Amino acid sequence: MTSPFASLQKYAPYVLSIVRIVVAASFFEFGLEKYFDFPGPAHVDMTPIYYVQGVIEIVGGFLLLIGAFTRVVAFILSGDMAVAYFMVYFPRSFFPGQNGGLSALLYCFLFFYLVFAGGGAWSADRAILKQE
Amino acid sequence: MTSLFESWEKWSPQILSVVRIIAALCFLEHGLQKYFGFPSATPPGDALHYVQGVIEIAGGILLALGLFTRPVAFILAGDMAVAYFTQHLPKSFFPALNGGDAAILYCFVFFYIVFVGGGSWSVDRKIMHQG
Repeated sequence: MTSPFASLQKYAPYVLSIVRIVVAASFFEFGLEKYFDFPGPAHVDMTPIYYVQGVIEIVGGFLLLIGAFTRVVAFILSGDMAVAYFMVYFPRSFFPGQNGGLSALLYCFLFFYLVFAGGGAWSADRAILKQE
Repeated sequence: MTSLFESWEKWSPQILSVVRIIAALCFLEHGLQKYFGFPSATPPGDALHYVQGVIEIAGGILLALGLFTRPVAFILAGDMAVAYFTQHLPKSFFPALNGGDAAILYCFVFFYIVFVGGGSWSVDRKIMHQG
Protein backbone atom coordinates (compact mmCIF):
# COMPACT_ATOMS: atom_id res chain seq x y z
CA MET A 1 0.00 0.00 0.00
CA THR A 2 2.81 2.36 0.80
CA SER A 3 4.89 1.95 -2.35
CA PRO A 4 2.49 3.58 -4.84
CA PHE A 5 2.38 6.56 -2.49
CA ALA A 6 6.15 6.63 -2.04
CA SER A 7 6.50 7.17 -5.79
CA LEU A 8 4.62 10.45 -5.30
CA GLN A 9 7.61 11.85 -3.42
CA LYS A 10 8.96 13.54 -6.56
CA TYR A 11 5.92 15.81 -6.68
CA ALA A 12 6.34 16.97 -3.08
CA PRO A 13 7.97 20.36 -3.97
CA TYR A 14 5.02 21.23 -6.22
CA VAL A 15 2.47 20.23 -3.62
CA LEU A 16 4.40 22.25 -1.04
CA SER A 17 3.93 25.34 -3.21
CA ILE A 18 0.21 24.64 -3.52
CA VAL A 19 -0.09 24.28 0.26
CA ARG A 20 1.88 27.52 0.75
CA ILE A 21 -0.41 29.42 -1.65
CA VAL A 22 -3.63 28.14 -0.06
CA VAL A 23 -2.44 28.84 3.47
CA ALA A 24 -1.16 32.31 2.54
CA ALA A 25 -4.38 33.23 0.71
CA SER A 26 -6.43 32.15 3.68
CA PHE A 27 -4.18 34.13 6.07
CA PHE A 28 -4.28 37.19 3.78
CA GLU A 29 -8.07 37.11 3.94
CA PHE A 30 -8.07 37.91 7.66
CA GLY A 31 -6.06 41.05 6.96
CA LEU A 32 -8.53 42.14 4.28
CA GLU A 33 -11.37 41.70 6.74
CA LYS A 34 -9.65 43.94 9.26
CA TYR A 35 -8.94 46.79 6.83
CA PHE A 36 -11.50 46.53 4.04
CA ASP A 37 -14.37 44.55 5.58
CA PHE A 38 -13.96 42.11 2.73
CA PRO A 39 -15.18 39.37 2.44
CA GLY A 40 -16.91 40.15 5.74
CA PRO A 41 -16.47 42.39 8.77
CA ALA A 42 -13.54 41.76 11.13
CA HIS A 43 -14.09 39.06 13.73
CA VAL A 44 -12.61 41.17 16.52
CA ASP A 45 -12.97 44.61 18.06
CA MET A 46 -10.44 46.67 16.17
CA THR A 47 -8.17 47.83 18.96
CA PRO A 48 -4.79 49.25 17.78
CA ILE A 49 -3.00 45.90 18.06
CA TYR A 50 -5.41 44.42 15.52
CA TYR A 51 -4.48 47.11 13.00
CA VAL A 52 -0.86 46.04 13.43
CA GLN A 53 -1.95 42.44 13.02
CA GLY A 54 -3.89 43.38 9.88
CA VAL A 55 -0.74 44.82 8.31
CA ILE A 56 1.18 41.65 9.17
CA GLU A 57 -1.57 39.57 7.61
CA ILE A 58 -1.83 41.61 4.41
CA VAL A 59 1.89 42.13 3.78
CA GLY A 60 2.98 38.73 5.07
CA GLY A 61 0.12 36.91 3.39
CA PHE A 62 0.86 38.55 0.06
CA LEU A 63 4.62 37.86 0.17
CA LEU A 64 4.00 34.26 1.16
CA LEU A 65 1.36 33.90 -1.55
CA ILE A 66 3.80 34.83 -4.29
CA GLY A 67 6.64 33.08 -2.48
CA ALA A 68 8.95 36.08 -2.14
CA PHE A 69 11.43 35.90 0.78
CA THR A 70 9.48 32.83 1.86
CA ARG A 71 11.63 31.63 4.73
CA VAL A 72 12.09 35.04 6.36
CA VAL A 73 8.41 35.92 6.01
CA ALA A 74 7.29 32.50 7.25
CA PHE A 75 9.56 32.93 10.30
CA ILE A 76 7.86 36.21 11.20
CA LEU A 77 4.36 34.87 10.58
CA SER A 78 5.01 31.73 12.60
CA GLY A 79 6.11 33.85 15.56
CA ASP A 80 3.13 36.12 15.03
CA MET A 81 0.71 33.19 15.21
CA ALA A 82 2.50 31.77 18.26
CA VAL A 83 2.05 35.11 20.06
CA ALA A 84 -1.60 35.22 18.95
CA TYR A 85 -2.15 31.72 20.26
CA PHE A 86 -0.65 32.38 23.68
CA MET A 87 -2.15 35.87 24.07
CA VAL A 88 -5.67 35.28 22.84
CA TYR A 89 -6.52 31.58 22.87
CA PHE A 90 -4.37 29.75 25.38
CA PRO A 91 -5.75 31.65 28.42
CA ARG A 92 -9.23 30.37 27.54
CA SER A 93 -8.35 26.68 27.58
CA PHE A 94 -5.40 24.35 27.10
CA PHE A 95 -7.21 22.46 24.34
CA PRO A 96 -7.29 23.91 20.81
CA GLY A 97 -10.67 22.27 20.20
CA GLN A 98 -12.09 24.43 22.99
CA ASN A 99 -10.17 27.69 22.96
CA GLY A 100 -10.92 28.61 19.34
CA GLY A 101 -7.23 28.74 18.47
CA LEU A 102 -7.13 25.68 16.25
CA SER A 103 -6.51 27.66 13.07
CA ALA A 104 -3.86 29.81 14.77
CA LEU A 105 -2.06 26.67 15.92
CA LEU A 106 -2.14 25.09 12.47
CA TYR A 107 -0.99 28.33 10.82
CA CYS A 108 1.84 28.59 13.32
CA PHE A 109 3.21 25.13 12.63
CA LEU A 110 2.70 25.34 8.87
CA PHE A 111 4.60 28.62 8.68
CA PHE A 112 7.27 27.13 10.92
CA TYR A 113 7.69 24.27 8.49
CA LEU A 114 8.01 26.70 5.57
CA VAL A 115 10.95 28.36 7.34
CA PHE A 116 12.80 25.07 7.03
CA ALA A 117 11.39 23.69 3.79
CA GLY A 118 11.23 26.91 1.75
CA GLY A 119 8.51 27.83 -0.70
CA GLY A 120 8.65 24.79 -2.94
CA ALA A 121 8.91 24.54 -6.72
CA TRP A 122 6.65 27.42 -7.69
CA SER A 123 7.72 30.61 -5.93
CA ALA A 124 8.98 34.09 -6.75
CA ASP A 125 12.11 33.20 -4.78
CA ARG A 126 12.98 30.48 -7.22
CA ALA A 127 11.56 31.94 -10.44
CA ILE A 128 12.60 35.59 -10.16
CA LEU A 129 14.89 36.20 -7.20
CA LYS A 130 17.04 33.14 -7.94
CA GLN A 131 17.26 32.06 -4.33
CA GLU A 132 15.76 29.23 -2.33
CA MET B 1 19.34 36.43 6.29
CA THR B 2 17.91 34.12 3.69
CA SER B 3 21.09 32.07 3.56
CA LEU B 4 20.92 31.53 7.30
CA PHE B 5 17.47 30.02 6.91
CA GLU B 6 18.57 27.99 3.89
CA SER B 7 21.12 26.25 6.08
CA TRP B 8 18.19 25.04 8.18
CA GLU B 9 16.86 23.04 5.22
CA LYS B 10 18.50 19.91 6.62
CA TRP B 11 16.13 20.01 9.59
CA SER B 12 12.96 20.06 7.51
CA PRO B 13 12.26 16.27 7.85
CA GLN B 14 12.32 16.63 11.65
CA ILE B 15 10.10 19.71 11.58
CA LEU B 16 7.75 17.91 9.22
CA SER B 17 7.29 15.21 11.87
CA VAL B 18 6.56 17.86 14.51
CA VAL B 19 3.93 19.45 12.25
CA ARG B 20 2.45 16.02 11.50
CA ILE B 21 2.18 15.15 15.21
CA ILE B 22 0.59 18.49 16.15
CA ALA B 23 -1.95 18.34 13.32
CA ALA B 24 -2.76 14.70 14.13
CA LEU B 25 -3.29 15.38 17.85
CA CYS B 26 -5.62 18.31 17.10
CA PHE B 27 -7.50 16.11 14.66
CA LEU B 28 -7.73 13.29 17.23
CA GLU B 29 -9.16 15.75 19.72
CA HIS B 30 -12.27 16.30 17.57
CA GLY B 31 -12.90 12.54 17.60
CA LEU B 32 -12.45 12.32 21.37
CA GLN B 33 -14.97 15.13 21.80
CA LYS B 34 -17.52 13.24 19.71
CA TYR B 35 -17.14 9.90 21.51
CA PHE B 36 -15.83 10.58 25.01
CA GLY B 37 -16.83 14.17 25.72
CA PHE B 38 -13.15 14.98 26.27
CA PRO B 39 -11.93 17.69 26.57
CA SER B 40 -15.53 18.86 26.20
CA ALA B 41 -18.61 17.22 24.73
CA THR B 42 -19.93 18.24 21.34
CA PRO B 43 -23.69 18.16 20.74
CA PRO B 44 -24.94 14.74 19.60
CA GLY B 45 -25.22 14.39 15.84
CA ASP B 46 -26.49 12.03 13.17
CA ALA B 47 -24.84 8.75 12.11
CA LEU B 48 -22.41 10.57 9.81
CA HIS B 49 -21.15 12.52 12.83
CA TYR B 50 -20.10 9.27 14.54
CA VAL B 51 -18.53 7.82 11.39
CA GLN B 52 -16.47 11.00 11.26
CA GLY B 53 -15.53 10.47 14.91
CA VAL B 54 -14.10 7.03 14.09
CA ILE B 55 -12.11 8.50 11.19
CA GLU B 56 -10.78 11.21 13.50
CA ILE B 57 -9.79 8.83 16.30
CA ALA B 58 -8.30 6.03 14.19
CA GLY B 59 -6.73 8.39 11.65
CA GLY B 60 -5.49 10.79 14.29
CA ILE B 61 -3.75 8.04 16.29
CA LEU B 62 -2.14 6.45 13.22
CA LEU B 63 -0.96 9.81 11.92
CA ALA B 64 0.36 10.92 15.32
CA LEU B 65 2.41 7.72 15.46
CA GLY B 66 3.37 8.02 11.82
CA LEU B 67 2.12 4.53 11.02
CA PHE B 68 1.03 3.93 7.39
CA THR B 69 1.42 7.68 7.13
CA ARG B 70 0.80 8.21 3.42
CA PRO B 71 -2.34 6.04 2.98
CA VAL B 72 -3.80 7.43 6.22
CA ALA B 73 -3.04 11.02 5.21
CA PHE B 74 -4.64 10.33 1.82
CA ILE B 75 -7.87 9.22 3.48
CA LEU B 76 -7.88 12.12 5.95
CA ALA B 77 -7.20 14.71 3.23
CA GLY B 78 -10.18 13.36 1.27
CA ASP B 79 -12.24 13.29 4.44
CA MET B 80 -11.51 16.96 5.16
CA ALA B 81 -12.19 17.91 1.53
CA VAL B 82 -15.62 16.29 1.77
CA ALA B 83 -16.21 17.98 5.12
CA TYR B 84 -15.30 21.34 3.61
CA PHE B 85 -17.53 21.00 0.58
CA THR B 86 -20.52 19.55 2.41
CA GLN B 87 -20.39 21.52 5.69
CA HIS B 88 -18.58 24.80 5.09
CA LEU B 89 -18.69 25.82 1.42
CA PRO B 90 -22.51 26.03 1.31
CA LYS B 91 -22.33 28.77 4.00
CA SER B 92 -19.95 31.03 2.07
CA PHE B 93 -17.18 30.86 -0.51
CA PHE B 94 -14.71 32.47 1.88
CA PRO B 95 -13.04 30.36 4.58
CA ALA B 96 -13.04 33.29 7.02
CA LEU B 97 -16.83 33.42 6.78
CA ASN B 98 -17.81 29.79 6.46
CA GLY B 99 -15.92 28.53 9.52
CA GLY B 100 -13.98 26.05 7.40
CA ASP B 101 -10.58 27.61 7.88
CA ALA B 102 -9.22 24.76 9.97
CA ALA B 103 -10.74 22.16 7.62
CA ILE B 104 -8.85 23.69 4.70
CA LEU B 105 -5.60 23.75 6.64
CA TYR B 106 -6.04 20.12 7.71
CA CYS B 107 -6.93 19.11 4.17
CA PHE B 108 -3.82 20.62 2.64
CA VAL B 109 -1.45 19.52 5.41
CA PHE B 110 -2.67 15.95 5.06
CA PHE B 111 -2.47 16.20 1.27
CA TYR B 112 1.12 17.33 1.48
CA ILE B 113 1.95 14.46 3.83
CA VAL B 114 0.67 12.00 1.19
CA PHE B 115 3.49 13.23 -1.04
CA VAL B 116 6.26 13.86 1.43
CA GLY B 117 5.66 11.12 4.01
CA GLY B 118 5.81 11.34 7.79
CA GLY B 119 9.27 12.84 8.17
CA SER B 120 12.17 11.69 10.32
CA TRP B 121 10.34 10.70 13.44
CA SER B 122 7.68 8.17 12.51
CA VAL B 123 6.87 4.53 13.14
CA ASP B 124 7.06 4.00 9.39
CA ARG B 125 10.69 5.07 9.36
CA LYS B 126 11.84 3.60 12.70
CA ILE B 127 10.07 0.24 12.80
CA MET B 128 8.49 -0.50 9.44
CA HIS B 129 11.57 0.70 7.55
CA GLN B 130 9.61 2.46 4.89
CA GLY B 131 9.19 6.13 4.09
